[in-house]
Amino acid sequence: MSRPAHILIVEDNRLVAKFYRMALERAGGFTCHVTENVAEMLELVREGHVHLAIVDVSLSGSEWEGRLLDGVEVTKMLKTAAPSRLPVLLATAHAMAGDRERLLAASGADGYLEKPIYESEVLVASVRKLIG
Amino acid sequence: MAETFLQEMKRYVGFSGEDAQLLRTLGPHLEKYFPELAERFYSQIPHHPNAFRVFTGGHAQIARLKQTLQNWARGLFTGVYDEAYSTDRFQIGYRHVRIGLDQKYVISAMGIVRSFLSECLLLEFPASDERLRYARSLNRMLDLDLNLMCESYMHATVDNLRSLNEQLERANTELAEASRSKDEFLAQTSHELRTPLNSILGFTKLMLDGLATSPDEQRELLEDVYHSAQLLLGIVNDILDIGRIEAGKVSLHLETLNPRHILDSTLPLVAVQAATKRLELRDETLGTKLPQVLADEVRLRQVMLNLLNNAVKFTERGTIIVRAAVHAVNGQQFLRFEVEDTGIGIPRERQGAVFEKFVSAHPAQSRRQGGSGLGLTISRKLVELMGGDIGLASGGANRGTNVWFTVPLAAART
Repeated sequence: MSRPAHILIVEDNRLVAKFYRMALERAGGFTCHVTENVAEMLELVREGHVHLAIVDVSLSGSEWEGRLLDGVEVTKMLKTAAPSRLPVLLATAHAMAGDRERLLAASGADGYLEKPIYESEVLVASVRKLIG
Repeated sequence: MAETFLQEMKRYVGFSGEDAQLLRTLGPHLEKYFPELAERFYSQIPHHPNAFRVFTGGHAQIARLKQTLQNWARGLFTGVYDEAYSTDRFQIGYRHVRIGLDQKYVISAMGIVRSFLSECLLLEFPASDERLRYARSLNRMLDLDLNLMCESYMHATVDNLRSLNEQLERANTELAEASRSKDEFLAQTSHELRTPLNSILGFTKLMLDGLATSPDEQRELLEDVYHSAQLLLGIVNDILDIGRIEAGKVSLHLETLNPRHILDSTLPLVAVQAATKRLELRDETLGTKLPQVLADEVRLRQVMLNLLNNAVKFTERGTIIVRAAVHAVNGQQFLRFEVEDTGIGIPRERQGAVFEKFVSAHPAQSRRQGGSGLGLTISRKLVELMGGDIGLASGGANRGTNVWFTVPLAAART
């Protein structure tokens, strides 16, 4: 692989974000940026630095215009802000099957990661599949 | 005006004012047969297999009922068959339905009365013309009576079913409510459990796959795994606790305790974390003699530790102060513990709700720190089980929180 792919990780749990980052960076070919800050992630996306975003569906620290956003709203904003098509993986801890389709449809995300995810290969494969 | 049921039935059985007159003159002739009627009627009843399921008062009750039956028979011949009479008959039906007496027994009882009174007429009136007139009036009146009784049974049964139905609906609503809150509990706890599990499995797998190479990095990951496992253990314990508490299966071991030991064994457990956050942890009870309390040692420590942990968790700078003082409520003496912090406080509108399951004044903070979301709920139940009370005060957002709870003094109980 030539240039590394930049992955934006939007996740409010420090350890979960750390796992994503390590799994991807150790697999090779990825650099990661972890943030909950909406302004920061929008800027990164707008500048075209992000090749894929992993967004957790339940967020607790992502405020925008005085309101807490969830992963569905963040996904929509990132997709709108991106200059070219930005693939998004929505991470859901909702174990219910019906929820997943509803969340994917509502957010426009390209795929989902079902938490708990602890097999780094699964994570890496899901990301690679979307980046192509 | 609409016809009443009584008027309708009188028309149906052909009962007239003339019948009423005749019955009034018939009454005194038959009076002497009433004891025998009562006797014949109730002598059979105790032989019925179901008798004492209904007549739970046994033979004494049946003796009383013989008198009641004579009065009832007398009532048939007053010559007044008005709305009050009808109401009286209705009440009999309601009474019978209430004690579980089946309608079929009353119909057969009316049959016994009818044939007995016919025999009386045969004995009393040899002239067949007179006898026939009386018999006709008597039969119409008994038809009327039977109709009133049957109608009253139907009404009473419908009323019964209606109230039974309402009870069932209420029970149903309560069950649905309970089932919904169980579902919510399950969804919420499975989410809380998965979060630390995620880190434990993820990091150990990374290490097993040989993706963490340097000893420093391996140590760091092991620390993450260790803390996540501790968090997981705490959550599992809380879930088991709340389950036991809600099932009423918590048994307390109440004993006389020195509160000093409780403070000395809990404060050091949060001291390290407080120091890491540069918080001052001040024990204002030091140097004062605290009276002994009557409590469960393990549970009292659990409550104290929970409040201390919350204070450290939700305070970024400043001080955490622990106080204890004797406090009387309605003449009973308690020791009142207080944990006060200078942390993020609790907005007024959430102050009442934080003792509920999974309700946090600061969902963002709580999520980041992890936890079962059950700590204050468990603390409240435990304090209440030990005979005390718990509450909190906060000046509002960013103005600190003061959580207090009481436990009875050992001397306050005998």
